[in-house]
Amino acid sequence: MESKREPERFTIAIGPQHPALKEPGSFQFTVDGEIVTKAYVRLGYAHRGIEKAAEQRNWIQDLYLLERICGICSHIHATAYCLAVEQLAHVEASARAQAIRVLVAELERIHSHFLWIGVSAHEAGFDTLFMYSWRDRETVMDLLEGLTGNRVNYSANVLGGVKCDIDGEQRTAILKGMDFLEKRARHYLDVLTNDGMFLQRTRGIAVMSRTQAEVMGAIGPTARASNVARDVRVESPYAAYKQYPVTMALDTRGDLEARFVVRVNELFESFRLIRLILDTLPEGELMVRFPRRVPAGEVVMRVEAPRGELFYFIKSNGSDRPERLKVRTPTICNITSVIKLAVGHQLADVPMILAGIDPCFSCNDRTVQLSHAEDGSSCMMKWEDLRRHGIEHYQGLCK
Amino acid sequence: MIGIWPILALMVFPGGLFILAGGLVYEWADRKLLALLQNRVGPRWFQPLADTVKLLAKEEIIPEKANKLLFIGLPVVALAGGLTAALYVPMAGIKPVYSFPGDLIVTLYLLSLLTLCLGLAGTNTLDRFSMIGATRTLTQVFSYEAPFLLALLIPAATVGSWQIGTIAAYAQSHWLILVQPVGFVVALIGLMGKLEMPPFDAPEAHTEISAGALTEYSGRGLAFFHLARAVELIIGLALVAAIYLGGVSNPLWFLAKTLALLFVMVGIQSLLTRLRIDQTVGLWWRYGAILVLVQWLVLILVNRI
Repeated sequence: MESKREPERFTIAIGPQHPALKEPGSFQFTVDGEIVTKAYVRLGYAHRGIEKAAEQRNWIQDLYLLERICGICSHIHATAYCLAVEQLAHVEASARAQAIRVLVAELERIHSHFLWIGVSAHEAGFDTLFMYSWRDRETVMDLLEGLTGNRVNYSANVLGGVKCDIDGEQRTAILKGMDFLEKRARHYLDVLTNDGMFLQRTRGIAVMSRTQAEVMGAIGPTARASNVARDVRVESPYAAYKQYPVTMALDTRGDLEARFVVRVNELFESFRLIRLILDTLPEGELMVRFPRRVPAGEVVMRVEAPRGELFYFIKSNGSDRPERLKVRTPTICNITSVIKLAVGHQLADVPMILAGIDPCFSCNDRTVQLSHAEDGSSCMMKWEDLRRHGIEHYQGLCK
Repeated sequence: MIGIWPILALMVFPGGLFILAGGLVYEWADRKLLALLQNRVGPRWFQPLADTVKLLAKEEIIPEKANKLLFIGLPVVALAGGLTAALYVPMAGIKPVYSFPGDLIVTLYLLSLLTLCLGLAGTNTLDRFSMIGATRTLTQVFSYEAPFLLALLIPAATVGSWQIGTIAAYAQSHWLILVQPVGFVVALIGLMGKLEMPPFDAPEAHTEISAGALTEYSGRGLAFFHLARAVELIIGLALVAAIYLGGVSNPLWFLAKTLALLFVMVGIQSLLTRLRIDQTVGLWWRYGAILVLVQWLVLILVNRI
């Protein structure tokens, strides 16, 4: 008699609470020994209802709300929103304001990419690189603070322009900072492409071909590492990118190493752009007058966040607040690639593959799906259900 | 009749209090040096002690489906193994308290108790992270243990004795690192593997499997495992220094040589990326084992001539 034993399913849950994730997201990996055979993702743990909240605030209040969608790329959210609403209201910010928007956006990209190098190195167990890249990131954080007054939510944008101006002193400080960071970035590029131990964890791991990247709709540096030439700054320049054209950083290999190389090369492009903007900053007013009510209409705005394309849809009905606002952040487009690429790799590579797309879960969560603790069935909660649940919950607490 | 000296040796020096305190100090030195190399501030001098006291004062949670006896007993066995090993190793420049022919082998196995206990502790609970951590711990044992053992047996073969005391006495006049550099390197790296230091920290890679085999441990059990590792750190350093670095004839030499070794280990920790478990096994069997066998071959050839 033959024994027919089904291989036992051994599933590892990474998240919603796990040291590899700084934000809640749930991943289920079925493993055979150390090899991942199946992957499953469940998002929605940090749904904050920002889109709904935006419909209940006026145009100016929304600016501050939307800037808080992401803690890392806050400026690019505000920029996308401002550009979209300005387009609806037929107001155009001055050339100087647009250039400063781009300048802050590029500083933000530098800060985001340095942060990402550190996080990925930490996932690979290379904490020294993590510590050093975060130390260097402080330089650009200080520059942003000096420029706008804040380290994280810079609040540099207003509808119709920007709040902060650049004087000679700040110009010198930024140029000095760029020189230092460029030197450091060269060093990191050297480490990331020559350190044998680190390359063992990145070279040839999680290779995504160009076709795969296109089919899965990958965007941003993740896609550019697979030689997909897609960058909103190049294909539809917004703000001041027409005056300051960007060269795309591309790589043909599509593995984790390529994602590192592409991001570091984007850093060099940002340094060049910032220097150029500082040298040729146009004169002009910082802000133009902006109406309280925005004419009815619809607008779609695409900008390039550090993680990839950021998409905004805004519908106005002519009142002082938007009727509908939709945000799509880059992570949701790239998350499919993680699930696809993780299969067949070792469990030890999974945190690196996940970090490779630079995920930001809180930004992309748009809904909560409840799953039953016992049978695993899932359901959505409507507004009335939520209200009833709240009342029952607090009544239970009072007893 | 048991005199007072054996009890003192067991409780105060070199076992017991001394080795626990020493272990914590060396753990602090390890963490502080690593922090300095990584551009961090690092822990204050009493931090390892504070961690231990805090853990000891905490509630110990025993998972439902775990075997209680094993769950409570394993950390104790691990720590006891380390403390017993201390009796056979020359500590702080003083000759080993107990000594018998073949104590080198016994000591090495006592040091392996910690790893075995970790493996058992991981498989004792149903937690997924513990299971994978335990599997990795045990896989790693089979990779570094043989080269490490062989590396420490080369000096034994040179001296012609499997007694740590005799080897250490011989080593005082002969710096074996000069004639057997490969053995020394393998022994030092093997010690790092034993202590699950980076880059050999795949069994407790916290970005993958939380705390590995120790995920379910809290309170006293966790404190004991931490103490056992601290004790093993100082014993391992003392052993390698005594055998390869010209012996540890007085406290000053002991301090200087073990700290120098620790510094090298910290440097390696800060420079390298964590190895995947398959890479660890590959490294040890492809390079570690071959190198140490070549060293053996050289030794045999030299002895023949």
